[in-house]
Amino acid sequence: MATYAEMQQIYDDIRGDFRYDSELNGCLNCGICTATCPAAHFYDYSPREIVQLLWTENVEQIYDAMQEKIWACAQCMTCAARCPFKNSPGGLVAIMREVAIKHEMQSAKDVLRPFGRVMLKLITTGNQLSPDMIQPDHFPDWGPNIQKVEGDLSVLRKAIPVKTLQTVETAWEVSLKTSVEMYTIWEMTGVMKSLELMDENLFDVIEDFIDEKREEYEEWLEEQEDED
Amino acid sequence: MQDTVLIVGAGPAGLSAASTVTASGYKAVVVEKEEILGGAPIISGYAKLVPSGEWAKDAIGRMVSRVEEDSGVTIHKGAKVESLDGEVGSFTAKLSNGETVTAGAIVLATGFTHFDSINKPEWGFGTFEDVLTTTQMEQMVSTGKIACPSDGRVPERVAILLCVGSRDRQIGREWCSKICCTVSANLAMEIKEISPETDVFIYYMDIRTFGLYEDKFYWKSQEEFKTKFVKARIAEVTASPDGRLLVKGEDTLVKRPIIIPFDIVVHAIGMDPNEDNPEIAKVFGIGLEKHGFIERAEHYTNTCGTTRRGIYSCGAAYGPETIDDSISQGAAAASRAVADLNALVQKAS
Ligand SMILES: Cc1cc2nc3c(=O)[nH]c(=O)nc-3n(C[C@H](O)[C@H](O)[C@H](O)COP(=O)(O)OP(=O)(O)OC[C@H]3O[C@@H](n4cnc5c(N)ncnc54)[C@H](O)[C@@H]3O)c2cc1C
Ligand code: SF4
Ligand code: SF4
Ligand code: SF4
Repeated sequence: MATYAEMQQIYDDIRGDFRYDSELNGCLNCGICTATCPAAHFYDYSPREIVQLLWTENVEQIYDAMQEKIWACAQCMTCAARCPFKNSPGGLVAIMREVAIKHEMQSAKDVLRPFGRVMLKLITTGNQLSPDMIQPDHFPDWGPNIQKVEGDLSVLRKAIPVKTLQTVETAWEVSLKTSVEMYTIWEMTGVMKSLELMDENLFDVIEDFIDEKREEYEEWLEEQEDED
Repeated sequence: MQDTVLIVGAGPAGLSAASTVTASGYKAVVVEKEEILGGAPIISGYAKLVPSGEWAKDAIGRMVSRVEEDSGVTIHKGAKVESLDGEVGSFTAKLSNGETVTAGAIVLATGFTHFDSINKPEWGFGTFEDVLTTTQMEQMVSTGKIACPSDGRVPERVAILLCVGSRDRQIGREWCSKICCTVSANLAMEIKEISPETDVFIYYMDIRTFGLYEDKFYWKSQEEFKTKFVKARIAEVTASPDGRLLVKGEDTLVKRPIIIPFDIVVHAIGMDPNEDNPEIAKVFGIGLEKHGFIERAEHYTNTCGTTRRGIYSCGAAYGPETIDDSISQGAAAASRAVADLNALVQKAS
């Protein structure tokens, strides 16, 4: 259990995030966010409650919500699209999660542990997507109605005078240059730092991988120069 | 002419202004765009009014006949002001019916426009027959029979959703429409009175039955008519396979999402700025405030003023307003206009 001062510090870190003021304007306590929230239908979780706790600066209950509740959010942002006060409860949850990681909270570690393999894959090779990969067959959770949308999409694509399918061939290949650039992004945006706080072993494995890839890239560059 | 006040709009505010002008010994010219006088309560067929309990057609009807029988009032129905020249003391207005009106001062009593529920599609209006607005429900009450429009059955459960088209940044409406809480509590009592087997639930964020409306409407509708007030703003209205409406919201006290079946869902629609306001601002050379209602002058010493000298306003033209206050403001605006005429008379003599 954290001391009050620690809980206050956690709140101050949330409050001090540069996004905070644009995500939280106040609250009408209407419950639209919770009513439209998919997570609230399955878990003991209410975005309105999160907003109220933050707005009323209830540092103890905020700390409590960070133990379990905030991890139920799917980050779908339906709440933000509906809130009559234009708050973003999902955006606030994102800030709280980042602060939970910064404070090395056990809840964050517990939530992330089963995702070690996914993180390894995502951080090392990224998650390439091209429009043709997004097919209903691969996403049974979209439900049957998505077929209607899919039908229209092929027509819509033709109507939009912007290339949308040019990545279909290349998206499957992992480019060395892009990978190396991506690693720089992970480092500069603090993702690697967060990972180190959450799972030191995984961090070491990924660091080694990144070092190797960078060496490979350097070698490749040298080869190019030699060829010239 | 220096003995005439031009009044635009013949709702409760404009009718009150017209009668005040003639009672002060001057002439009134009323320009109303509709073919009937009486404003929203008559045009939209409201039932019993808050707080008097009188039928709108009787109460506002009395105001209409008082003006129609008044020899000091000239009425132009189905007409608008198309252009305006001059200044306080000598305005000249050209009307859409070809007539010209000269007046020493002007009162704009152009009121509001009902929120169109189509702009909030997730609440089912226009999709489901049994989703109605308060104005439609008032009309149903006036017929003396409560029934579902879809199949004529007597509803077991009616939900009234408050703040539809008000207090909602998503649709650019950041005001409270002031009267709909009280109107809805009143409507719940009217429904129960006609149809005792129907239960009425009101979904609210806050209850704003201000002043003397607290016990007369909020308390009474619970104590005597068993209206249930649920603290939740509804997120969506859908339908179940058996055709009943499903209302989805959060019960904010137990913090859980809820889905509840209803037979009729009523939108307590709010008061938008008059859709003519951009045109009115241009024709009359006055300002609008940030929501689009007519901009009030400094109120303490320039009561009922606008941003232009000699042009006054009142009632729902300024923002959501009750009938009673619109009537008082109509009289106040008229007395400001009359004072302008008096000053001219004194200057001339
Ligand atoms: C569902 C509902 C129920 C309500 N019930 C009650 C109630 O029970 N009690 C209560 O106190 N209040 C009630 N109200 C509020 C009430 O409707 C307003 O307070 C009242 O109508 C305001 O009067 P007004 O004269 O300012 O405006 P309006 O009634 O809007 O009258 C304005 C008039 O001006 C005319 N006009 C508009 N533009 C022009 C133009 N450009 N040129 C010429 N003419 C024009 C219009 O046609 C109209 O006749 C209710 C409101 C709603 C939405
Ligand atoms: S972003 Fe999170 S809180 Fe918001 S609706 Fe989606 S799951 Fe619920
Ligand atoms: S939808 Fe917005 S205003 Fe309503 S309870 Fe949620 S955060 Fe508060
Ligand atoms: S009066 Fe009541 S129902 Fe109407 S907008 Fe205000 S709070 Fe909502």
